[in-house]
Amino acid sequence: MKELKILYLYPDILDLYGDIGNIKILKYRIEQRGYKATVDSYSINDPKPNFRSYDIIFAGGGADNEQQILAEDLIKYKDEIKQAKDAGVYFLLICGAYQLFGKYYKGVEGNIIPGLEVFDYYTEANPDRNQRCIGNIIIESSFGNSKTKIIGFENHGGQTYGIETPFGKVLYGNGNKFGDEFEGFMEENVIATYLHGPLLSKNPELTDYIIRYCLKRKYNEEVILDPLNDELENKCRLQLFERFLYNKK
Amino acid sequence: MKGFFTILITKIVTIILKISGKNGGNLPGKIAYKLNKNMLKYFKIKCPVIAVVGTNGKTTTNNSINSILKKANYNVISNLQGNNMETGILSILTKESTLTGKIKADFITLEVDESYLPVVFKKLKLDTLVILDFFRDQLDRVGEIETLILKINEFLKTYNGNLVLNSDDPNVARLGQANPDNSNVYYFSVDKYKYATDKMKEAGEGKFCPFCSTRLEYEYYQYAHIGKFKCPNCNYGDNEIYKLITDVDLENKTFKIKNDTFKINYNSIYSIYNFAAAITVASLYNIDIEYIKQTLEEFELNNGRQEKLVINGSETTINLAKNPTGANVSLRLVNEDNDPKDVLFVLNDKSADGTDVSWIYDIDFSNLNNVNRIITSGTRAYDMAICIKNNGVSPDKIEAYLNLDDAVKSLYKTNCKKYAISNYTAVQDTRHAIINYK
Repeated sequence: MKELKILYLYPDILDLYGDIGNIKILKYRIEQRGYKATVDSYSINDPKPNFRSYDIIFAGGGADNEQQILAEDLIKYKDEIKQAKDAGVYFLLICGAYQLFGKYYKGVEGNIIPGLEVFDYYTEANPDRNQRCIGNIIIESSFGNSKTKIIGFENHGGQTYGIETPFGKVLYGNGNKFGDEFEGFMEENVIATYLHGPLLSKNPELTDYIIRYCLKRKYNEEVILDPLNDELENKCRLQLFERFLYNKK
Repeated sequence: MKGFFTILITKIVTIILKISGKNGGNLPGKIAYKLNKNMLKYFKIKCPVIAVVGTNGKTTTNNSINSILKKANYNVISNLQGNNMETGILSILTKESTLTGKIKADFITLEVDESYLPVVFKKLKLDTLVILDFFRDQLDRVGEIETLILKINEFLKTYNGNLVLNSDDPNVARLGQANPDNSNVYYFSVDKYKYATDKMKEAGEGKFCPFCSTRLEYEYYQYAHIGKFKCPNCNYGDNEIYKLITDVDLENKTFKIKNDTFKINYNSIYSIYNFAAAITVASLYNIDIEYIKQTLEEFELNNGRQEKLVINGSETTINLAKNPTGANVSLRLVNEDNDPKDVLFVLNDKSADGTDVSWIYDIDFSNLNNVNRIITSGTRAYDMAICIKNNGVSPDKIEAYLNLDDAVKSLYKTNCKKYAISNYTAVQDTRHAIINYK
């Protein structure tokens, strides 16, 4: 049976905003198509994973103090992670993980927490701790051959700079910085974003795009995925577009 | 404005609201606060003030303390409805005070929103503080738990009153060390119960020692991160227990403290923790144990927290779940019941709920026991339904309705047992929709 393997980084620490939902959704949509989905997890004190042997590597957002503890752990695997990324493994990185994969995170007091430097962007804390980008967010993203609206929820104090290839254009909400035009970071095999929700819950097209990318890379074949019953997702999207985009007061 | 006039105006507003048949809730307090920001300082209070904070269980604990004290024939003032922000507390105090700010009572017991604790008790003298638990809750409104705990820790550094702490929550027990000079710290704990687990079953906090950042070790978990923990490095977690509940029997709804057996009307482990806190407080004020036993045996809230009703011939349980832990313990009740049932989830994203609903993915939907259908409603009915679908429940068994009356109508299409689980702003609407269903 054809199989996709997911590596879930620090599920017990980067678990603040229901990000585990992304794993459940990936698994659900892979299995519904008759493929096997294997999810392995890695956390502090576990043996070193073989990053390149996975199809998808996922990490979410966590509490600030716990995030620092794991940053020191993750940095040990900097080179292996870079190799996996160059080899085409798909990276889905949310919020705290998005920041960690950049050059650095500069705290309010000017302290620098070094990142993995897999990507060139960097993040600076907002000087006023009480001011965060919080709320529902809708962006328009291009992947595959089409433009798609992506719905999520953002909650971040960090302001991310130095991005040339964003995940999408902001239609509603903040984005990488307060009132930014763009959100997240994207490459062919990378989405790094502030969008919780969880991200994949209201964006089945995006989930299927990631699955198709991975199947194509692994088995070298163009797959057409069987459509699933996405009535709930479609209704949800219509409801939220109506509420945030068309019905704005 | 002078306190006298503030009280006068606020009282007039309360009377007008009452005449026009409206329940003002926080409104009188909001007005009082607008007129005088330091209004809380104006009250002349001679009796002990008891406050309850914590993410889950405030209302139940505060109500049970109130009932015990009343049973012991004391005159008690409390915010029993759960208006727990500064304005809510102002509402109840202005209502109960004379125009000169005197409050005649033997006790004042208040549930207080965690983030308002320091502001409120800068202005009001506190005799006993109960801290129940800290769970992730409304991250968009309250922020991360750690920030909140540090704020409370700061407040406690200069507090010398009674401090009643849940010894089984690492984020609560740590606060016992905020002020080393306070000799009035009392821990309560609940002994391992039947459904305790070796591994954490539901999302929880406090994985690392707050003092040395070592990963905490657990002997067992009662629910979420509540359980018997210890830091292998610095021994944090080894507290002297003032009240220990043992022999928890959820089927027969009984537990023990030493040789005393208590009978209650609730069958969930988290209620036992709430009662442990209430018993500790009562004991600090030397309330006779017979009063406590009698009260707990009769105590029922009927406000959408484990409330049982019969509607259309179907036994119905309504429960509040405003965060993952609340939802998980509600689902424990569903799954510990072997009868066939339908479950209604009502999820709102109004500002008092927290507008971020992604926490629902921390709900554990595995092991659903004999659930026929799941119906969802509220402003985020579809989000809830999608979440349940992605947890492996067939879309054919899920129905989503933005309109609550439609959802309730569908719920009672069949006559099996019903469970209705709703978040904060949804619970009273759900309760009304169910009670008014014909």
